[in-house]
Amino acid sequence: MKAAEVVMGTGARAAALAVKSARVDVVPGYPITPQTSIIEAVAAMVENGELHARFIPVEGEHSAMAAAVAASAAGARVFTATSANGLLYMHEVLHMASGGRLPVVMCNVNRGIFAPWTLWADHQDSMAQRDTGWIQYHCSSNQEVFNTILQAFRVAEQINIPVMVNFDGFAISHCLMPLTLPPQEDIDRFLPPHEPEWRLDPAHPSSFSNVTNAEEYAPFRQMLSDDIMAAIPLVKQAAQEYKDITGMWDGDTIDTYRLEDAEVVAFAVNSMAAELKLSIDILRQQGIKAGLLRPRLYLPFPAEDIINALPQNAQVMVLDRNYNFGHPGGILASELKSALFGRRNDITVKNRVMGIGGIDLPRRFMADEIRAMMDE
Amino acid sequence: MLELRINGFGGQGSVTLAHLLAQAALENGEQGQALPFFGVERRGAPVRAAVRMSSTTIHAHSQCELPDYVVVMSEKLTEAALSEGINEIGTVIINAPHAVPVKKHPTWQVDADTIAREAGLFSADGPFINIPLFGAVCRVLNIPQNVMEQTILNKWPGNGERNLDAAGKAYNTVKQINI
Repeated sequence: MKAAEVVMGTGARAAALAVKSARVDVVPGYPITPQTSIIEAVAAMVENGELHARFIPVEGEHSAMAAAVAASAAGARVFTATSANGLLYMHEVLHMASGGRLPVVMCNVNRGIFAPWTLWADHQDSMAQRDTGWIQYHCSSNQEVFNTILQAFRVAEQINIPVMVNFDGFAISHCLMPLTLPPQEDIDRFLPPHEPEWRLDPAHPSSFSNVTNAEEYAPFRQMLSDDIMAAIPLVKQAAQEYKDITGMWDGDTIDTYRLEDAEVVAFAVNSMAAELKLSIDILRQQGIKAGLLRPRLYLPFPAEDIINALPQNAQVMVLDRNYNFGHPGGILASELKSALFGRRNDITVKNRVMGIGGIDLPRRFMADEIRAMMDE
Repeated sequence: MLELRINGFGGQGSVTLAHLLAQAALENGEQGQALPFFGVERRGAPVRAAVRMSSTTIHAHSQCELPDYVVVMSEKLTEAALSEGINEIGTVIINAPHAVPVKKHPTWQVDADTIAREAGLFSADGPFINIPLFGAVCRVLNIPQNVMEQTILNKWPGNGERNLDAAGKAYNTVKQINI
């Protein structure tokens, strides 16, 4: 049996290598910083024959997702990637992918939204797509990006719902780190070829996405809502089987650190949640029983797993890298409060917004913020 | 975990230097991370990059606030680089043709410009100082010379001779300045 290979790669490279390992068939792509290096790398792999796929250069993100939808409806395994305003430009077609029950997998490299322009990470772009009917992972390391793209294809194709794999621009996408690449035969065992139950086929003409009357439309929407919730056990199963095959584990719906006896729990996603592990160590050295709960799955929101994981009477410090406009604070805090309401009345939730537009979030700063929140 | 920050000017090859150092860490049996800060990418504008090395998984994804080492790619940047923060017992490595005194911090000096030019590593834009600086930083971090050389050979297979020459010369001539 072949051993895993360790290479140095950026988060963007990790994504491209996962796309190659997943034996993707079609990749429509349009560049946008900081995502561009993914699409460039995949285009190069197609050009030099490393990846036997069709690369479709398009004139914008709306078309990129439209091409992804069409290719997926024709039965292909499809990948694309975007960031920030590119993702917003796709918004309408995101609904077509989910409503059409097409298992497209897309990386969104998180970047703050125009206006004014920024190039650096926050999470307004992905969280603004909450209601598009996509499953969303948020990753906190290069390795997790690689692992999650493979898990995402598996979940998407099991339940016919598109999956967005999010990670921070620059802090992950342009960060060079060691990357463990499992042998291809192991990945093939984890992710068998895509065999859709249905596909558009000129030899067997059928129509797709007709106008429906309300009696037909409503059950489709109910089914989508139910099936998104039903993705939770599939996400867990994919993480567990990926671990059984490769030995690698990033958490399933959630990831935790020093949580068991924690009185103060940091709650955040993406690269800041990795850095927070160091903040937790600092707080523990100061005598504060701190821990971390990172929702790896943002949508469906893993409410049950969070409810079960939080220690009794914990103070939860939600660190949001986004704004929940119209409410004070951020989106994750709102999601968490909604999940806990009436279920865990012992929990206190506090919230701060930070790191907007890529403002650096060093471990000491976040430890200080958490300590200050304890006194609020 | 060892933390290092590179302060340079756009066009001096800070990103490649950061990548080489992270790769050298892996070659040396450790974990390595290179996290350049990409700003408005203009030639001549001040740039910085974070590098980390550790025997265990690196979770940090911020720029280095208080690094253990600061690499100053041009002596003109010395004051600005230190003002961005350094561990109170941190070490400074400066590219300069002569000794640059830095208060309170152990300081190393290497003449990367001259070494690069003498090795034939230059273009119309100037010398490729990141290669000799890579050699110098490896020496200061006690990374074995053969690990440094292997990292260069991995990066430029079959085309590393002048790079090896320049990095090796810097490895052996970088010197600590007496305070």
